[in-house]
Amino acid sequence: MNSRSIKVYRDLMGANAEWAGKTRKLLEKKKIVMTNLIGSPGCGKTRLLESLATRAADGMRFAVLEGDVETTQDAERLAALNVEVRQLLTGGACHLEAKLVHHALKDLPLDALDFVFVENVGNLVCPAEFDIGETAKIAVLSVAEGEDKPVKYPLLFREAKAVLVTKTDLLPHLQFDMGSCIGFIRQVNPDIRILKVSALSGEGVDEWIRWMLQLRSR
Amino acid sequence: MHELAICESIVEAVLKEMRTISPPPRRLLRTRVAVGVLRQIVPEYLAFAYEELTKGTAAEGSALELIHLPVAATCRRCGWQGEKFEDIFQCKECGSGNVMITGGTELYLESLEVEQDEQPQHQGLS
Repeated sequence: MNSRSIKVYRDLMGANAEWAGKTRKLLEKKKIVMTNLIGSPGCGKTRLLESLATRAADGMRFAVLEGDVETTQDAERLAALNVEVRQLLTGGACHLEAKLVHHALKDLPLDALDFVFVENVGNLVCPAEFDIGETAKIAVLSVAEGEDKPVKYPLLFREAKAVLVTKTDLLPHLQFDMGSCIGFIRQVNPDIRILKVSALSGEGVDEWIRWMLQLRSR
Repeated sequence: MHELAICESIVEAVLKEMRTISPPPRRLLRTRVAVGVLRQIVPEYLAFAYEELTKGTAAEGSALELIHLPVAATCRRCGWQGEKFEDIFQCKECGSGNVMITGGTELYLESLEVEQDEQPQHQGLS
């Protein structure tokens, strides 16, 4: 009896990458921009999408894929505003994977859409690891979470093309230093677009919409 | 807990590789996986998932060994290149945040250590 070591070098994200690639091709063909919204539970992802829906967003035709561990509550909130929405349930998993997103995307009326927003499972770690074929990842950080999250969870802020600093209407009630938060974000990613928004007051929502329209014209 | 999903890919890849090994191994002793530190994998969770997911398979009882790969980067401002353990995303030389990450997100099955029966000696070659 003897033992031997066999070199393998097999990429372990291969299957996920394949599905993500299929999604990118489909989005390109249909000229759709798909953004992947990633942030903690309760940072205001669904509320932001609601505010987009009520603003009708200058003729922005969009649909939403809602990722959650359990319940269809978020999809119901958006459906109540006549948003085209599909609920993706991971049944325990802390992130969305490319295959599930691809199948849900194919179920949408793609010819009638310009944008698809994927609301990932609330989590700052795992969703950043999994490419789902999106055009851009958007990090969502509420001011209630503290300034230091970008350096504590650097991968997300490194991967994202934009960060939405949400709930700015709460600032008068918090000890949150916006300057140091922006410093932490820039430390991790000097090129990221930083947008301060409040779904409640409407601050910054139009600027966010303009940024997304630029993604489309690129 | 992305470790479970990642471990599913590991076990799937291991079993697939084992079927291609010739002659067929008696058993799998060790699986080596290379992981970049940016993958934020907790080794204990991965080990637990591996033990559970290999139960009842040809890989049952084998050990999972992780090879940790550091964050590597190139500074776009001063050209510094190297491996970084602290102050990630900031150049060690000039402090610039304008760095290109060139390593640290790896995730691949590196090698398998298997136990095999003694190879029959080739006759007439010596």
